[in-house]
This record gives sequence, structure tokens and C-alpha cells, in this order.
Amino acid sequence: MRNHRMLMLLLVVGLMVTQTGCWSSKEIEDLSMYIGLALDDGKPTPTEQKLDKQGQGYPKRNLITATVQIVPVKTGSNNQHEKGAGKGDGFLNESETGDSLLQVMRQYSLRRERAVIGHHLKVIIISTELIQKQSIDKLMDFVLRDNDIRPSCITLLSRGMARDTLVAGHSGEIPAFKLQAMPRGHFRTGKIMRGVNLTRLDSLIGSKQSFILQEVATSGGEAEFSGAGIIKGDTGKYIGSLDQTDVQSIAWIRGDIQGGVIKSYDWHDEPMTYEVEGMKSKIIPRLEGDQLSFQVKIESEGRMIENWDVEEDPSKAEFLKRAEKVFEDTLLQMLEHLLVKLQSKHKVDVSGFGKQLSVDHPQYWKKVKDRWDEVFSQTPVTFDVKFTITDYGSSKK
Amino acid sequence: MGCLAAGGLSGPDKKTFIAKQQVQVICREQRQPGCFCSLFYCCTMKQHPAMLIEWRGSGEIRENNSRRGMVHVWWSNIVSYIPDWPVFVQAGATLLIPVVLYFTHRWFRSVVTNGGGSSEKLTAATEESDSLLTGDYDADLDSIKQAIGSNDDLHFREYRVAELGIRAALIYIDGMQEDQLIDTQVMQVLMGKGDFVPEVELESSLPPADRLAAYFRQRILPVVEMEEVQGTQCLHEMVLTGYTALLVEGMPSAILVGKPRGKTRSITEPTSEALLRGPRLGFTEALSENTSMLRRQGRTELMEIKKYTVGNTLKRDLAVVYMKSIVNPDLLQEVEKRVAKIDLDFIAESGYVEQLIEDDILSPFQQAQNTERPDRVINALMAGRVALLLDGTPFALIVPVTFSMLLQSPEDYYERWMAGSLLRLLRFFAAFMSLMIPSLYISFISFHPGLIPTELAITIIETRERVPFPSLIEILVLEVSIEILREAGVRLPKPIGSAMGIVGGLIIGEAAVQAGIVSPFLVIVVSVTAIASFSIPMYSAGITLRMLRFVGMFFAAALGILGTILFFLLICSHLTKLKSFGVPYITPVSPIRLHDWKDLFVRAPLTLMKLRPEMMKTERKRRKA
Amino acid sequence: MFTRSDDKITTSQAVVFLTDSILGAGILTMPRDITEKVKTPDAWLSVLLGGVVILLVVWVMTKLSQQFPGKTIFEYARSIVGKIPGSMMSLLMVIYFLVIAGFEIRILAEVNIFYLLEGTPVWAVIIPFIWTGAYLASGGINCIARLFQIIFPISIFILLLSFLLSMRLFEIDHLRPFLGDGLPPVLNGLKSSILIYTGFEIVMVLVGHMQHPEKAVKTMLLGAGIPIILYVFATMIVVGGMSISAVLRSTWPTLDLLRSFEITGLFFERFEFPFLVIWMMQMFCNFCSQFFVTSLGLSKTFGIKFPIVLFALMPILFLAALIPRTMNDLFTLGGAIGYMSVFLFVLVTVPLCLIYLIRKKGLRKHA
Repeated sequence: MRNHRMLMLLLVVGLMVTQTGCWSSKEIEDLSMYIGLALDDGKPTPTEQKLDKQGQGYPKRNLITATVQIVPVKTGSNNQHEKGAGKGDGFLNESETGDSLLQVMRQYSLRRERAVIGHHLKVIIISTELIQKQSIDKLMDFVLRDNDIRPSCITLLSRGMARDTLVAGHSGEIPAFKLQAMPRGHFRTGKIMRGVNLTRLDSLIGSKQSFILQEVATSGGEAEFSGAGIIKGDTGKYIGSLDQTDVQSIAWIRGDIQGGVIKSYDWHDEPMTYEVEGMKSKIIPRLEGDQLSFQVKIESEGRMIENWDVEEDPSKAEFLKRAEKVFEDTLLQMLEHLLVKLQSKHKVDVSGFGKQLSVDHPQYWKKVKDRWDEVFSQTPVTFDVKFTITDYGSSKK
Repeated sequence: MGCLAAGGLSGPDKKTFIAKQQVQVICREQRQPGCFCSLFYCCTMKQHPAMLIEWRGSGEIRENNSRRGMVHVWWSNIVSYIPDWPVFVQAGATLLIPVVLYFTHRWFRSVVTNGGGSSEKLTAATEESDSLLTGDYDADLDSIKQAIGSNDDLHFREYRVAELGIRAALIYIDGMQEDQLIDTQVMQVLMGKGDFVPEVELESSLPPADRLAAYFRQRILPVVEMEEVQGTQCLHEMVLTGYTALLVEGMPSAILVGKPRGKTRSITEPTSEALLRGPRLGFTEALSENTSMLRRQGRTELMEIKKYTVGNTLKRDLAVVYMKSIVNPDLLQEVEKRVAKIDLDFIAESGYVEQLIEDDILSPFQQAQNTERPDRVINALMAGRVALLLDGTPFALIVPVTFSMLLQSPEDYYERWMAGSLLRLLRFFAAFMSLMIPSLYISFISFHPGLIPTELAITIIETRERVPFPSLIEILVLEVSIEILREAGVRLPKPIGSAMGIVGGLIIGEAAVQAGIVSPFLVIVVSVTAIASFSIPMYSAGITLRMLRFVGMFFAAALGILGTILFFLLICSHLTKLKSFGVPYITPVSPIRLHDWKDLFVRAPLTLMKLRPEMMKTERKRRKA
Repeated sequence: MFTRSDDKITTSQAVVFLTDSILGAGILTMPRDITEKVKTPDAWLSVLLGGVVILLVVWVMTKLSQQFPGKTIFEYARSIVGKIPGSMMSLLMVIYFLVIAGFEIRILAEVNIFYLLEGTPVWAVIIPFIWTGAYLASGGINCIARLFQIIFPISIFILLLSFLLSMRLFEIDHLRPFLGDGLPPVLNGLKSSILIYTGFEIVMVLVGHMQHPEKAVKTMLLGAGIPIILYVFATMIVVGGMSISAVLRSTWPTLDLLRSFEITGLFFERFEFPFLVIWMMQMFCNFCSQFFVTSLGLSKTFGIKFPIVLFALMPILFLAALIPRTMNDLFTLGGAIGYMSVFLFVLVTVPLCLIYLIRKKGLRKHA
């Protein structure tokens, strides 16, 4: 009797052991990771077109072409029929066209023997061409929802084809890693924006206000950060670009300059350069009645780091005073230029004026929130710049 | 809380449940706090009829307006929340498996603990047969010969006590008597003439039988160690263990004159607990030497040694050592009670004692600390613990034991406090690593590639490309071979052992990587684990962790990081339940005794450790005057 | 006495016990729950105010329990209002704790499956947890309290560390304007912020198990205070790190915040891993304490032996955990539990207090 019971027990345990266990277990070597994602306007690649002709397609609208950068490439076998560039560089780019991003992602499984996972996605690049047609909210919906993709991945815009940015680079370098690491240069120059990760993007999209995203340009197989694209808040679409100087000016207004330079020409028309050591800026919204105006106060300390003007002695106080004035004027010009661009050309606020207003005058902000870009473009802004040169480096000449 | 009926819209699809907004749009303003008494999940159904949407498995949506329809919908809504039959089967399994486990556990425990029940009667039977010596020389000698005379190494030396004119016999085992002592102090004295003539004159005649033994002891034999035995059983045992017995005509007892001369080992450094700094003294196999070593640690009147006899057939001495007026009397009583309960025909090593007196026989953790070092024992005694020393083994037991003791080394106290603390922290870390690293490896490699840093993930993928096994098999292969290596290394003589280590560790590891059986990353993981487990100062604790590590690996292989956490929680739960002689195993961590934290992860300066451990509830609390 | 076998816990254990019973699933969803109601960055103020309300309630409950030293609500409810109504009240409490236990374990399973174990069936996550919990609970309140004491410092450490590391994303502007819309939105959020502290009812059981019930008030207030501070802190960090618009768009905002940065150079460059680990342990603690109280209540109310109740509750808990079908059901249930908590207060605590006071006065008059 006991033996029978033991037998039954063994059977049950055996069933449990064999039928269960390791549901989610996927060995890491059977996976590849996509570390970069480029979204382009939906134009099927030549390979896809060929496959479609053979009747290999599925019902879809060709709205986006997604290119993923997959690492690592299996080294053992020689896959000669790989598409896209970057072959032999330790990564592989795959493109696929469709209208649902997840479906497109899963579509890769039809081509690759390894499943592709998104935990390590580092960078998303969207071409400005696509984002002119589709709102960013729609494009980012999947990546924000997905459980694999971490919100730490950063978002960039690309002026050309987004997938080209995933090709560019010296050999041996994986472009997605390079693009991901580049915003860290923010501490060297104000021309690079702080990386916008998905959480930040989520909050920007959710606030329904206009914002800017870093742009990448490619030329000659090299990707470079240059300027920023403006996304209009209410439509979520791209409306235009700012150049590097404008990006830097925005950083000045926001007080987000960590280490940058201002180059200027002195009274002898010789270049001289100011290295920012520290800065503070404050946007002061003034509300008189219904009349809104902004004052931006910028204070900075720094050092005279380069001076081509051999006539002058940088250790002299009056020279430094004069130089300070020159630098202040240069920055003012930059800021004015930016303001004109924002208020007249694009008619948007992307430099944090709205946020400050909402903090200082929440009631008024509530009234103008929905048409803030229009209101801003008619609001007078004055700048107040104060530079102090505290030292002149290790050369006293 | 919204309309639950709408909840059904999103269906079972995993991806869609994030899409919370779409449902909330429908049910945003439908907040109803009521109706808790009914089934809670179905209670919020008091909705507008129009809003009620019924969910059927096929996804068909129906709207109802009529009152009857509403009741129907309400009902079918409740029904739709009743899970399918597989869920009930699973619920049954949830109940059944623990019940089965519980009863198996109880059955097993009862089997284990009642195993000695029958032998109790046996001892009772043997004790009854113990008869006393009669005093009739011939009869006694005959009975001895009959009982143990079949031993060929037993010798009887019969002679006549010259002065008293009575017969006597020396009974001894060949090779165990102390010839010198017997010859000069016993034989010479008894057979010689003239030395004690005056006394005989005084006595004028032979003393009466009952005083004969005392007479011999007090007047005749110039020997220090001397014992009188009256029971035959006892006499037989003593003779066979090597005592020399003197049987005298007319005396109803035997006198044991010579101690057994067994060879003992010289005192050496303890091999299982080597220290760089600290006494080089280690216990030996002789109990008397061990207790004397403890006595020699310092002059005190507090240390008390009580001897018990353990073993039913082969008897041995067990000494219970403690510090009077430091140790908690309740603890001492408990220890004595358990020692008295020991019931086995032979206690071969203190490991037997440990297993017979421990609280939980089914726990993987040891509940008594074994040590070869007198200094360790004396330190434990001073903290209010009790030591058990068994004859015939150099391993003393210290009870009660707590988890933190297993990771402490006497050196922590001998080195200065900073170094001691750091080493101790290192050991805690190593213990954690040796327990968890393989499970973490499995859960990362097989379950959560998203939690590894990207660059590392790429490297691992590349190195594991040629490995055909899942990580569990891979790690088992290597872990098991390391365990075998370790086992083999212990058995082999030292020079070969180290050669084995090189062959096994280096060459096999390298070759396994080359052959693509394991990945190089794993070799690192396994060797780090092995090294970490070597750093645990207690050998037995190391075995425990090694054993549990394998359990952890299976947990991880089933449920990834969740399994690892479950494993950790399970161990913690077990540890919280475990007690060693009434002391919670993981105190002072929990129950928290902040005073004792001075000697837990860090070793505070000696001047700060003013109090004895709180957990021992000692009589005298202060260490300092 | 050297060996202790009574069911008493020390003061520090009581603090940790209460903290662990409150601190549960809420930390992942709470910032969104509250922000949804408040709609301004002042959500943390609601959490704080809600905490104050909870402290008051805890105070009342402790005071009531202190009148019956050594007894839990399941015993003294009967001696106040009589056998049958008292049992009914106990039963309500038991059901409430049962639902919380089921809810917590389901949330745990859902988060786990979503982020870590995609593809594993729910039952495979839930059942081992129930078993482990039962194993622990079978050791009685002492063992549970001891486990809490081990886990509590670890989880607090990791929790605070996670918050500190998230400070790199923190922008004070996200928390401004302070009281931009005045107090009304804060009060609006108060309603749901009270709901996140569910589980504090365990006070009425804990006081009876305390070694020093005379210190109960301070102990219980501290035990309830720790989660309140942590919740306020968590809300501030999450809203400050993500801004309200992102919080509102996120299902598990706290996790999203931790996932939005990587610390390169550390072996765990992804900090959600240690966070999830300690969160799971915390959920286990929470679950265990509810499980224990449920079984204790049942065994005391109906006079059934504790181990039998423990066994019988395992399948019931499993079913309770599996009844919600979707994530929305689950969140709805979470809200419902909050309302049940209020309901229990009105239906059990208040009447008990009133009747007790009336009786006491009556007795005094007679005497």
C-alpha cells in the first residue's frame, strides 16, 4: 500500500519536474541585442522589395522603416548574405518596414536565428523627415511601453537618413555606443545638449510644450552632433532646426553650461577665448497686469585661455575689463540671434521660459498654457549678462 | 475603482495590460466604495446598466438595459471572475504538496529521533548483571578467568604476599601495564621482606576483610593513582582497558594500581585551524591532557570540569567544561540533560555527540562548534558558553553556537582591531559570495540578460557562443568537478595533493574552455566561488555553504533571480527558526542585541567590549573589573 | 529564563513589523496614484497629510489595544461587544488581511513577470512564495519578526541608496510651483493617499504581542512613521526626477525612474536590479505578516489549530491572488482595499472604542 502511494508521489513529482521549470530561461548566447534603433520614413529597402515581389510580405502600411543595430555578430559562421553595411565590424544593421514597431521588431525573427532583445538599447535616432509626418508621441509609444527597453536610452534626431548614422564611424567602433557616449561631452562644450533619455522625453511629450532634441549629421562616414531639432508641443512634429550656436545659447539661458568657451574678436580683430569656469542664470518673469515680460540674468566666471593679441598684456586689469565687455557683447549677440529665431521664425519656446513662468506665476501660466508658444513669441525678453575673468591661465604674458 | 466589467476589455494579452488608459477612460468616474461584504472583486458592480459590458471568453460584447438583463450580467460577471479549473487544480497542488512535505518531514523526524528507543532496554539489562566481588580469592579469580580469560593477552601473575602470607594476583593486559611501576612499587613491596615488619607487629594479625583494602591503600602500597573496584563488570572493563588490577585473598574488592600505558601523540599545531598568530597548541586524543591544557590556560577557580560516561558498550569519558558563575545555570542544565540522554553503544568522535545533542537534526547548519584549539574553547567559556570534550578525539565542542561564530577566527582578536574587523567583513562577504554567486550567474545568464552591463553582456555572448550547454549544466559540470577535486585533494598525501590541484584546477579548467564545454567567464565564477569558500574558517560551515550552493543553483535555474531570492528567504526563514540550545541562531542580528554588534561584523577595540555577550545571558555581565 | 518560547516580540521588532506590514506594493505605484488625483507637483504633501491621518488612527488603535494587554483584536473584540458581533468583526479583519495578502502577492507576480520573468506562468511565481511564507509563518510571530529584522536594514539601505542615486535626475523645478493651485488639489489627493497605507490595522494584533505593551504608543507611531517618511521621500524623488507629466504616463513610475539611468563602472550598472531584489523581499515580508495575521485571526476566532489554518489558507490565498484577471482589475482591487481599510475603521475600530468607553463609564458609575 505504502509502495503504491510512494509510486504515485514519485509520478507526481516527476511530472512536476519535467513539465515545469525554466519557463523564461533563455540562454544568453542564443540572444542578440539591439543597441541602436533608427527610425526613417517608410521606404522598403531593396531586399524587402525583392522579398515582397516574391509574395513574402504581410499586410501592412509602410509608415516607418526601422533599422536596428545588432551586436554581437556571430563570429563562427560566415554569413555572406547579410544586408546593410557594417559587415565585419562586430555589428549588423537590419532594416524592416511596417507600421507597428513591435511587429517590425518581431519580423526580424524571420531572418535571424537568434532572438533579439531590447534591454540594451542605447540610442534611438529619428529622422527629421519621418517626424515631420508622424508625431513623436506615436513613434515613441512602443519604446515607452515595452518592458525590455530601459528608459535610460537616449533620443536623437537625424537630419539625413537616420540609418546612416548607425553606419558612420571608424571601423571597429560600434556607432550606437559612440552616439550614446557623445552627450557626455556636455561638460566640455555647451553645443552638446544633455542627453534626453526616454523618461525625460516622456515628460516633455506629456507636458505638451515644445522642446528640442539633439541632432546628428552625417558626412563622410562620420557622425557629428550639430544643432537641435524643434518638436512642436501640440502636434509633436518637427518644425525646424537650430544650429550649434543656438543650442549653446539655450544652454546659457537655462544655466546649463558646465564648461564651454566663448570666442570673440578683440579691438585689434584678433581672436581671444573665454573658458567658462562657472555660471548662473536666472529667468525672471515679470507680470504687470496682463503684460508679460522676461528678464534673463546671466553671471559667469571664467578664465582668459587664449589670446592672439600679442600687443596686450592679459594680466592687466583694464585689459581684462575690456575683454569682459567684448565677451559679454558676443554672448548678447548670440542670445539675441536665438531669440529672433525662436520668436519670429519658429514661434516656439524651447528654452525654459514657460517652465519658469509656471513656477512663478502658476495662475497666469494656467491661462496661457495651451497657447504658450504664441504668447511667448510676442513677449519681450531682455538679457543682462555679467562676465568676470578671474584668471589668465598659467601664462602671464 | 472603476467598472470591473470594462476590465475584461483588455483581455489576457500580456502586452495590452499596460494600456491602462483606454480602460480608465471608460470607467474613470465610476468610483464606488461600497459592498465589501460580498465577494470583494465583484462588489463594485453597481454601475449604470448601459455601462455594463459583459466579457465572454470569445470577446463578444453585449449591452443590456433591462433589469433582468442586469441581474444576469451581474451574475455572469461574478462567474467570469471564478477561475478556470486548472487554477483549482493548482490551488489543490498548493495545498497538497506542503501537506505531503509536512508529513514526510514529521515522519522522518520521528524516525530519526526515535531510532535509539530500543537500546534503552539493552542497557538496563546489562546493568543488572553486574555482581560484586565476593572476597573469596579462588572464586573471584575463577569468575574473572571465566569472563575475560579467553583473551590471550590477559595475564595473571599469582604470588604470595610475603609478610601477610596471603595469596594475591596481578591481572593485566600484555603491553598496557607500566612495568617499572608494578615491579618497583607493587611487586617489590609485597614480596620483599622486612620493610614493614613493625606494622605487622602492631596489627598483630590480618585486618578484617572489609578493612583490608583500606589497609593496603594506606599502609602498604606507595602508589599515587590507586582505585578500588568492587563490581566484577567494572573490574573486567578496567582490566581490559589496560589497568593493572590487584586481587588479594580475602579482600572483597580489587585494587587498580597501574594506569594504562597507552601511547599518546605529542602535542602539535592544530591542522584544521591553523593561525599565523596565536598559540600553536592543539588538543590531542587524551582527555586528561586536553583538560589539563585548559587548566593551564590560566589560574582560576571558576573553571569546572564534570565527567560523564557515554557509550553503552564501549564506554568513554565526556567532560563538560564551563565557568562557574559566568555560565547561565539554565543553559548548563540543558546541556547536562542532553548529555545524559546520549544513548548509543559507542561514541567514536565528538561529531557523534554533536549530532546526538543538537536541536534540529534536519537543519543543514551545525548547532555546535567543533575546534581543536584550547584558546578558542577558553574564549568561548569566558563568554558563558559550555564546552564538551570527549576522550579519544582532539575536537572539542562548543555550545551554543550562533551563525556569526562560524565566520570568526581567533586571529580577529589577536590582531589589532582594524585589521581584525576588515578580515571579518571580508569573510562575511566571502561566505555570501560562495553561497550566492553560482545562482546569480545562472539567473543572469539564463534569465536576465537585461541586468548585465552591455559591454559585459556582449563579451559573455561571444565567449559562450561555442558552449552547447545551458548555464545550469555548465556550472554543475565545473562545480561538481571542483568538489571532486577538493575531496581528492584531502585524501591524497600533501605533495601529491598540491600537484592534483594544479592538474585539476589549471589544466582541466583551461582544457574545458578550449574544448568549448564551459565558458572562460564561468571558470572565473567557479574559481572565485571556490576560493571564497576556502576562506571560511570553520570547515563544517564551509561544507554547509557548499551544499546549499547547489540547492541555490537549482532554485535559480527554475525561477531566475526570483528563485535566488526565494532561496535566500528560505534560508533566512530557516535560520530564524533555528536555535542552538535555546539561543536564536542568528542573534545578535535578530533578535537584535546592539551590544553584541561590537563583536559581529566588526571587532571593536578590546577596551570597548566591556560586557559579555548579551545573548548568553551570563551570570556575571562585565568583563572588566 | 534562558529559552523563551512565548509569542512576544521586542520593541524594536514591533517597529520593524509594523513598518514592513505597511511598506509594500505601494512604493512602485504610489507616486502615480497620488499624482493622478492631485495633478500638481504637491503630491508629496498629500502623502504626508495622509500619513498624519494614519498616525492618528494608529494612535487610537494602539490606545484601544493597550486596554487589553496580551490580547489581540480577535480576542478583545469579543470581550467588548460579545461573542457573535466580536467574531463578525474579527472575521471582517481576517477577510481584509486575506485580500491584502492576495493582492500583494499578485502585484509581486505581475511586476516580476513583466520585468524579469517574461513567459513564466503566474502560478509558478505565486505558489513558491506562498509556500515559503507558510514555512516562515509556521514559526510564529517571533520568527517572522526576526526575519523582518534581517531584511529591514538591507532594504532600507538599498532603498535609500536607490533614491540617492536617482538624485542625479532630480530637478527641483519638477516639484515647483509649490502649492501653485493652493490646498484643494492636495486635499483631493488626501483621499487616495490614505489608501496607500493599508495594512496598518495590524497594530491591533501587534500590541497584544509586545513584550512591553506600555511602550506601545511610541513604538507603533514610530513603526507607522518610517513608511510615511519613506513614501513622502519616494514621492518627492520620483516626481522630482521625472516630472508629473512622465509620472502620469508611467505604470510603475518608481521603477521607470530607476531604469532611466545607468551607473557605469559599477558591476550593477543597472540599479533596478538591487531595487527589485529588496522590493521582492519587502513584498515577501508584507505578505508574510498579512498571511500570519489572517491565520492567527482565523485560528483565534474559530478555535482551530494554527498549523491547520496555515495549510488551509494556502490554496485560498492562491485563488484570491488569481481572481483579478487583468492589470486594471488589480489596480481596482488596490483601490478597493484602501476603501475597505476606511470601512473597517468605521465598522470595527470606532464602534469598539465607543462601546468600550461607554462600558467603562458605566462600570465606574456602578462602582
